[in-house]
Amino acid sequence: MFERNQKTIFVLDHTRYFSIASEEYISMDFLKGKPSGDGGATGAAGNATGSGGSQFSKSLWTCACESSIEYCRVVWDLFPGKKHVRFIVSDTAAHIVNTWSPSTQNMSHVMNAMVMVGVPSRNLPTSSDYSVIHGLRAAIEALAEPTDEQLAAMADLGTDELSRIPNKGRVICITSARDNTSMKSLEDIFNTVLVQQNTLAAPPAKKGLIIDHCHLVILNIVPLGVESLVTNRSLLKISPLLDVEIHTVSAPDISYKLTHLILNHYDLASTTVTNIPMKEEQNANSSANYDVEILHSRRAHSITCGPDFSLPTSIKQGATYETVTLKWCTPRGCGSADLQPCLGQFLVTPVDVTSRPSSCLINFLLNGRSVLLEMPRKTGSKATSHMLSARGGEIFVHSLCITRSCMDEAPSITDGPGGRVSDYRTAELGQLIKMSRMVPLKVKDPSAPPLTRRLPRYFPLTTSSSILFHLQRHISWLSHFLHLLVKEDMDKQDEVRCQQHIHELYKSASRGDVLPFTHTNGARLKLSKAKDQYRLLYRELEQLIQLNATTMHHKNLLESLQSLRAAYGDAPLKSEPGASLLRSFTESPLSPERLEPISSVGASGSSNSNSLLKASKRRMSSCGQRSLLDIISSAERSQSNKRLDFSGRLCTPLGQVAKLYPDFGTKDKDAVTTGASITPNVKEESVRS
Amino acid sequence: MPTLIALDASLSMLRPVPGRNEHTYQSLATKGIQHLLDNLMAAGKMEHVALLSYSTTAELKVDFTRDYDQVRQAVKKVEPVDKACLMSMLKAVVSIMSPWGNQNILQVVVFTDCGLGFGNTSITGFLEAYAEKESEPEFGFLKTLANYNLNFICLGLHGDYYFTRGLAVYQQLLDKVSLKGQLFMTKPAKSSDAVEGNPNPNPNPSHKSELGRTTVFELIERLCEASYKSSEVTLKCGSYFRMEAPVLLWPPTAPYEQKSHIFGREPTIRHTDQKIEVCGFLALSDIGSPAILSRHWVLPKVEREKSGGSRRSGNLSAAAKPPKLNLDTSNPNYELEKLEADIKEFYAKDSKDTEESGDDDVTIVLKPGPQTEHQKENLCVLLHGALKMENMAALVRVGDKWYGFIYAFTDSKKKSNLMLNILPPGANVIPWLGDLESLGFPEDLAPGETASFPVRADRRSYSQSSVVWIRQASLQSDVQKVLRHAKKMPDKTQHFYKELNRIRRAALALGFVELLEALAMLLEKECAHLSLNGASNDCTLQLQHAATELRKTSNRDIKSTIVPLQKVGASDAGSTAATAPAPSYMY
Repeated sequence: MFERNQKTIFVLDHTRYFSIASEEYISMDFLKGKPSGDGGATGAAGNATGSGGSQFSKSLWTCACESSIEYCRVVWDLFPGKKHVRFIVSDTAAHIVNTWSPSTQNMSHVMNAMVMVGVPSRNLPTSSDYSVIHGLRAAIEALAEPTDEQLAAMADLGTDELSRIPNKGRVICITSARDNTSMKSLEDIFNTVLVQQNTLAAPPAKKGLIIDHCHLVILNIVPLGVESLVTNRSLLKISPLLDVEIHTVSAPDISYKLTHLILNHYDLASTTVTNIPMKEEQNANSSANYDVEILHSRRAHSITCGPDFSLPTSIKQGATYETVTLKWCTPRGCGSADLQPCLGQFLVTPVDVTSRPSSCLINFLLNGRSVLLEMPRKTGSKATSHMLSARGGEIFVHSLCITRSCMDEAPSITDGPGGRVSDYRTAELGQLIKMSRMVPLKVKDPSAPPLTRRLPRYFPLTTSSSILFHLQRHISWLSHFLHLLVKEDMDKQDEVRCQQHIHELYKSASRGDVLPFTHTNGARLKLSKAKDQYRLLYRELEQLIQLNATTMHHKNLLESLQSLRAAYGDAPLKSEPGASLLRSFTESPLSPERLEPISSVGASGSSNSNSLLKASKRRMSSCGQRSLLDIISSAERSQSNKRLDFSGRLCTPLGQVAKLYPDFGTKDKDAVTTGASITPNVKEESVRS
Repeated sequence: MPTLIALDASLSMLRPVPGRNEHTYQSLATKGIQHLLDNLMAAGKMEHVALLSYSTTAELKVDFTRDYDQVRQAVKKVEPVDKACLMSMLKAVVSIMSPWGNQNILQVVVFTDCGLGFGNTSITGFLEAYAEKESEPEFGFLKTLANYNLNFICLGLHGDYYFTRGLAVYQQLLDKVSLKGQLFMTKPAKSSDAVEGNPNPNPNPSHKSELGRTTVFELIERLCEASYKSSEVTLKCGSYFRMEAPVLLWPPTAPYEQKSHIFGREPTIRHTDQKIEVCGFLALSDIGSPAILSRHWVLPKVEREKSGGSRRSGNLSAAAKPPKLNLDTSNPNYELEKLEADIKEFYAKDSKDTEESGDDDVTIVLKPGPQTEHQKENLCVLLHGALKMENMAALVRVGDKWYGFIYAFTDSKKKSNLMLNILPPGANVIPWLGDLESLGFPEDLAPGETASFPVRADRRSYSQSSVVWIRQASLQSDVQKVLRHAKKMPDKTQHFYKELNRIRRAALALGFVELLEALAMLLEKECAHLSLNGASNDCTLQLQHAATELRKTSNRDIKSTIVPLQKVGASDAGSTAATAPAPSYMY
């Protein structure tokens, strides 16, 4: 996690020398696009075209600046938030351009800050105050500062373990030295300061993190055509803490040098996508083929490697590194790009972000298309080894698995267990899946119900294992009824509706109506069969309500249903086994939210008041803002709800007032008094009749 | 898990097993191979198997196939030739295995009497040559071989010195070359000189010889237990008991080694959970092709009669005799299962009644009776159907902060099945899906809030209008763009100034003040050129104004922006310093 490349610091020499021209001239005519020359740099370099004054050149500063910014463009494109780059400008003192903080680790911050730095002044006198040493000192201090990731790791560890957090880094210094001797003194000073810094970081001072190792890259730059007295030197171990390498480059080539170095610094590889067909502006009918070079982690190549093939490589003109050439495949349907066997996905960035072919490819991908990349196999056939696609505004290269897989030749699911069953409730589950489609949340409420609570508690897999869901297709009101039944927040009104439906069912059952099954082919069922239908229907309904019983209303429904079942001659509640069965249900892990076991029908008065108390307790715990009166009265109401509703009310359409005592006065006086204190039994009798 | 069976075809395999005249080493090996194939068959016939026989040379008898009968036939035809040469066989194995790459777990099962070979092709000869020369290219194949699982079924008697010495050298070979391997051998009958200390006592001390058909079968059972054990987990999708089912993951899941970022901390080995639970659903098009650790078929688990005896017969009669529908009253789902059974029975009777109104129990054909596994409904099939229909995948939790996707995978032959892609551990492994722990349902959104995939990242350099002038051509194209707009003023005045300021800002950031002067000159030239050709007065005035502003050192500031000349006609308008602050460029 904390590799050497997690921290990189550019130290830019901002002394007077850097204001001089790089001597690579750009002619004005070239800028206007007048010369017939098709290529850029070749025609423009040198004095060939220029009449005096019509050409100009970048300064050494501009060269150093643009190449180092390009370096961090690649880093931040490929490892956003993971690898950090800082800039320190050095003249009479060190100027810190950005910090390790993520808010300053981006292009626009650096570009804006660089405007403030500006070009070194030509008019200032040369003085020993102006030096790159200030910047190098500041760079070492910066290495000792922890990044956010290191701070997080430190928080996880005890203070005595801080030294176990790896802290390595790299300093890239762009400067210009007179000769090898001054280069040597630069190295020595750097090493000394590094050791000093670590003594500061060691106990007792503990100022910053100890630097485990530093890699110093010195780029000694000179204007074009100027010989340098500094010799190139590959990596050399100066001390256990410090490795140094020195490169002398002419200013115009510094970008190429850094592109070459960055490959090793971040273990990157280059891929050139070849044969990209692009339409010409002038000639819209034909298309020419272009190549685009991209950079990405080397693992994108190494992860796909197998023994019977190797990725084809080539070296681009002027480059010093290899690039893997993969052929563009014209994309097929969009769906083919999903859930490919992908071994790794890596961010990519084009080597030349502003070129026209690059931006064509980028826009093609950003618009949501995917591109498969093809490589030849040794056997002569081809394999699509990689895929380019953009997601969320970032472009990735996906390394695909191209070796033989033990999963080829899929066993078909229809040949497996359950594969021949034809009446799965696929469409219903499909609906549920669509309704349970996930979205990214900014803040997730930990109390939000998980999927298990969102999916139905009762869901038979096939239509042939359910009466209810079978009938649902033929009885129009059934779906609505079922929907009401499973509502977690069932209220009184819902309950009344459900009671009505249950009553309807009971009525049609007692009439002996045959339920509309498709299986019967319109043939009439025997009466005994019809009875079976209703028995099963009641049983299933009861299971459904039991599994969903979250409120008192559910409980009420359940009880009235059970009494109906009993009335229909299918009585599970008659004896004790039934009750124990119910208890086993409530104790099953599948229904953790069920309320307490239903008190058996016809409970004595004492148990009634007991349950009243319990009910009020429940209410109390669930809703804290209600008055005592509310609680008692609602508990009482729910208690009364357990009984089947008054038959007059059940027969009256919703919303209308049921007429009380329609036959008042016609009966004896004592009959009226019993009517006023109706017992549940009497009521049930009246329903049944 | 492709399996390569290598059969020793040296002449020593023709020896009769001492004390058991009916067996030779080869016939025992053949029986062992048949038994291995029986086991693989019982496990679903998923493994690809190849057969190789080896003596001085290695010969591929059957290439990788799921048609085990082909292997069975070929095994019988192997005829011992000369001496065994293990190393040349292993070298051949590497080339035969190569098409599988390193994404699959590769198994090699060697049936041998542990002969050492002769001369320089012997194992001892190899070990001498190998010492100190590990990096020589001729030993390169051993690196690849180290990725395979080597299983040696060692046929021999512990009383036989040549066999025990062979065992020791084989083990030495595995250790020296650091190959992943295991030697399977019989338990020593007299337990005198066990090379591999085996804690189990000999279960059959009464046997004539420790090596026989039964003991070879035991070795195979041990091998299958060690290397071919299937991953059996519970798939859960919702709370209803039918929405939870035991499934097999094939190929078996492998443990994951998670490195620690702290120095000196041991990596943790992680296993997938025993219960994988569906957390929600995502469209395939939202998921894309993220990097995965492994892929597995999700297969319904079939209840099998598990006993070595039934396998021995070769053909499994187990499938024909499925377990009876045992309804246990103590089962918490008893009532539901009973109801389901009753409903099914009702339907079955019902359909029969319409055909013939005879007695209920006369015809047996339609009686729901014992169902075979194929007729029994299964969650996998339902889930597969629904996911396929909706083009969606189920996000499943396979461990703590570890996820995967289950979806309907259709191969090139239009065969489809349920597949599980296991992601690398971690909640933030797919950038465009964001933190998988914080995925929720639309109902969880705050009112007015919207959310959709993909989760957008910060803008990368290629989706901003970056300025990079390392190649002169890109500088040229930027300048030309300004000049193109210049010619089309006043229509393109806004575009002209927008591009001009973009160039100016970049030039200031790079300290490229030379470009500002050059651009000013170009604009003046263009102005002169255009006025000759009778361009509008407006255009020339704007160009003149822009050139003046570019040259002003007071404008070399981050906050300044060059704005168009407002009052055309007023000759002194150029003096109005255009320094409107641009708040977006605050440092």
